[in-house]
Amino acid sequence: MNPILKVDDLLDSRLMARLDRLDVISRKIFAGKIQGERRSRRRGQSVEFADFRNYSHGDDLRFVDWNIYARLDRLFLKLFLEEEDLSMVIALDMSMSMNGGNPNKFDYARRLAMALGYIGLVNNNRVSLFGFGSERIERLTSMRGRRRTREMGRWLLDRTPEGIGGFTDGMRTIALGGQGRGVLIVLSDFLFPDGYEKGLNYVAGRGFDVFALQLLAPEEMDPARHGLAGDLRLIDSETNKETEVTASTAVLTQYRKSLEAYVAGLRDFSVRRSITHQVVETSLDMDTLLLDYLRRRGLLA
Amino acid sequence: MIFLAMTWLAPFAASIVALSTIPPLVALYFLRLRRTRRVISSTMLWKRATQDLRANAPFQRLRFSLLLLLQLLALALLAFAIAQPQIEMGDSQAKRIVFLIDRSGSMNVNDAPGDRSRLEEAKQLAENRVRALNSGGIFSGSAPSVMVIAFAKDAQILCPFTDNAAQAIAVIKAIEPTDESTTLSDSFELARAFSTVTNPDKQSTVAADAPSYELFSDGRIADLSRSVLRGGEQILFHNIGKSTTANAGIGAVAVSRNPDRPDEVQIYARVVNWGSDIFSGDLEVVVDDRLRAVTPKPVEVPPAQEDKTIGIRVPGEIQVVFPSMTLPKGGLVEVRFAKHDALLADDRAIVVAAPPEALKVALVGRGAFVMRSILEGMSLKSLETFSLSEWNDRLKKDPMAPDSFDVIVLDDAMPDDLARGRYLIFHATPINAGISPYGTKNNATAQSIRDEHPLLQYVNLNDIFVSSMTAVAAGGDADVIVESSEGPMILTLNRGALTFVYVTFDPMESDWPFQRGFVNFFANSISWLAAGGSAVADEPLAPGDVAKARLPLGAKEVSMLIPNGTAMPIAVQDPSNISYGPLRTSGFYRMSWTVPNGQSGPTSKAYAVNMNSRIEGRADAAAEVKFATERVAGIQGGASVETSAWPWLLLSAVAVLFLEWWVWLRRV
Repeated sequence: MNPILKVDDLLDSRLMARLDRLDVISRKIFAGKIQGERRSRRRGQSVEFADFRNYSHGDDLRFVDWNIYARLDRLFLKLFLEEEDLSMVIALDMSMSMNGGNPNKFDYARRLAMALGYIGLVNNNRVSLFGFGSERIERLTSMRGRRRTREMGRWLLDRTPEGIGGFTDGMRTIALGGQGRGVLIVLSDFLFPDGYEKGLNYVAGRGFDVFALQLLAPEEMDPARHGLAGDLRLIDSETNKETEVTASTAVLTQYRKSLEAYVAGLRDFSVRRSITHQVVETSLDMDTLLLDYLRRRGLLA
Repeated sequence: MIFLAMTWLAPFAASIVALSTIPPLVALYFLRLRRTRRVISSTMLWKRATQDLRANAPFQRLRFSLLLLLQLLALALLAFAIAQPQIEMGDSQAKRIVFLIDRSGSMNVNDAPGDRSRLEEAKQLAENRVRALNSGGIFSGSAPSVMVIAFAKDAQILCPFTDNAAQAIAVIKAIEPTDESTTLSDSFELARAFSTVTNPDKQSTVAADAPSYELFSDGRIADLSRSVLRGGEQILFHNIGKSTTANAGIGAVAVSRNPDRPDEVQIYARVVNWGSDIFSGDLEVVVDDRLRAVTPKPVEVPPAQEDKTIGIRVPGEIQVVFPSMTLPKGGLVEVRFAKHDALLADDRAIVVAAPPEALKVALVGRGAFVMRSILEGMSLKSLETFSLSEWNDRLKKDPMAPDSFDVIVLDDAMPDDLARGRYLIFHATPINAGISPYGTKNNATAQSIRDEHPLLQYVNLNDIFVSSMTAVAAGGDADVIVESSEGPMILTLNRGALTFVYVTFDPMESDWPFQRGFVNFFANSISWLAAGGSAVADEPLAPGDVAKARLPLGAKEVSMLIPNGTAMPIAVQDPSNISYGPLRTSGFYRMSWTVPNGQSGPTSKAYAVNMNSRIEGRADAAAEVKFATERVAGIQGGASVETSAWPWLLLSAVAVLFLEWWVWLRRV
């Protein structure tokens, strides 16, 4: 995969054209501050009928159902589904642990963020980008419309991985940031020394439809097949701490078990909090990921 | 009994090396190990994996590593090399080893590799063993002490226990072949005598560590069933020779003169076949180096058979009788195969035919008709008869009277003096001869018969029945020829001046006089006694026997001409009792002497020594030796598999080190 040097490297025009047909869907209908293109459970002024309710003083008489009044001699107010805009928040892990793998996990995450953000912008959703890392939160909020695409691209282009974790702080900032209700897509490897639980707890139950996309490099999924063998001194990219490992069959087997247990733990944690968790191997082609993988898993439609 | 296949000359040194190097190597392995540095996203999962593994497997650090494996292999090879393993089929850890080397007649069979004799092979193997036991280097333990015993009919210590390998090798090389029979029990007795130490303070005998024996033999040993290994004794049997070697030989030969025509002789031979196939070959008779007769057609001897009832192998035999031939003066008669086989020594047999001699015989006692008739039928120079009282009177007048007769027959009579002379004694117990009568026994039959003795030539005693006999206890110098369940029936005694044949029963109280064998026994006894008792001129000796002779008074310059043509001088103390020997090899011997001026008489006596093929002619080597209580399997070519393995181990260690170095370079 080519290095990312300019905005076009994040999202090429061919893929961009194919993404025009996609939209982000949410399992929840969220209220937006302005009228959007999305149906909301909040009754409003759209043309789609939703329900009736008794008239109360002050209601707009334009919504009184006069036919009912004629039959029943009572005033009922017609309620319509109001079309709202969707708040789409993309949280990008900028810790050093993302700066690894082949393809590079951070580059992959930026490309994915660019693609998802583009889909959001194209569909007139309110798109916000958050980058979290070691004691830093960087953001680009409240973009709407296709014309913000390059701005979003430049922002992503300027982001670099650095430091340790920062996931909990990042999620807390998003949860309290007043982004409104919407879709939150977290792009991270979720390999945080201090755990992911507190961070996810912040955003779960706050009205977000949360998608946790766990990005793992092929070397992390299957080290033996990708040249990690023999007597090794492994250096943690975040902490620079060294770990001596002899990649024997037993150790590799145990590693796979640990990874499976870790992923399963994250999945269970997410399911209990109505969070959609998906593992994405960075060797997966971006087209396939967006046009097939994420569609089948309900993020895109 | 096979010992370990490999011995370690310096196991203690190897243990020290292994203990002092392998643990540090393992430690160094962990210190030295070059790990590849890799930056990865997070080591979190790796830490978890290794922590889990450690929790489940406390020794997981000792996991497979090619480098460590190669280093350990190199060290192990080095330690093994320092231990100096000796690869061999058998060995003992004994501090003292007795080499028992068979030099009997069957060891002259030429079936060892390189067409060498079995004895040469045995000597080579023994020499190699001595070298191997002393081949340790600076790390070796102390070599065992070695004793060398050569055995055949008797055992001889060639070298007592010594640490000097050169001395042991020298005596092994000097072992000479013999044609003797094989007995082993003497060897054990000698070795045990030297293995026993006595504490002079406590005056008690304390056995030292039991020695380990190494037997170099073809396994054809006559007295194995009488040999018992004692507690702690171990034996390694180096099996010499092939088990498929066949052999035939001449078991016995005899020459008898025709009583009616003394110029003529009849020659008899017995051919023995130990092979599994029929033996076929021509026999020749050579008299004084001149071919006198050949069998008209090849004699065919049946193969040897396994007698399952007694569990031994019985050779096939035939008797060959040659036509009478004239031999007016006597001579050297040799019967031989026209074609030689595996064992040369028994392919010929020699007998010295004495010239016809007219004997002077006295018959003392009752003078039974049967005996008188037999004596009168013999071509004697004179026959005089005496009553016992007449003979005693003559002895009183002339104590040397017995010397005026070649043989004196005592028919149930015992004179007052039996100090000198040659007697054939019937029934009356000899006096002053160490023979003690202790009663009379009835209804006796012969149980043990020494068929090969010259007295029993053509005498069949299997059917004899004796109604009454004197039970006697014979002294140690008596030689029992025939024994019944009640005691000796016929025995001989030879004390130089006194020689006799004693028949313990009265022939008239048996059915013997009615059998032809009695006449032959009478004639054999007269001839045997007349010839001096042991060194009968016309009866051959067996290898290992001693040549005896009664020489005239004043005989000097006595010497023995042995088969290789060398004249060996004999120191003479008493001319009336000369001994020389043992005569270890078969062939023709001649004792010569000079007599004082003016004295007449013979000046030489011939001896023929023939290998007894019936005992020693079995040439198929035994795969095992069966002692009284245990069996010991033989090993073939023991020395050839005894090789020092340490050079190869050292070389392998160096090669492994190079391989380890190469692997390490490729990884770094």
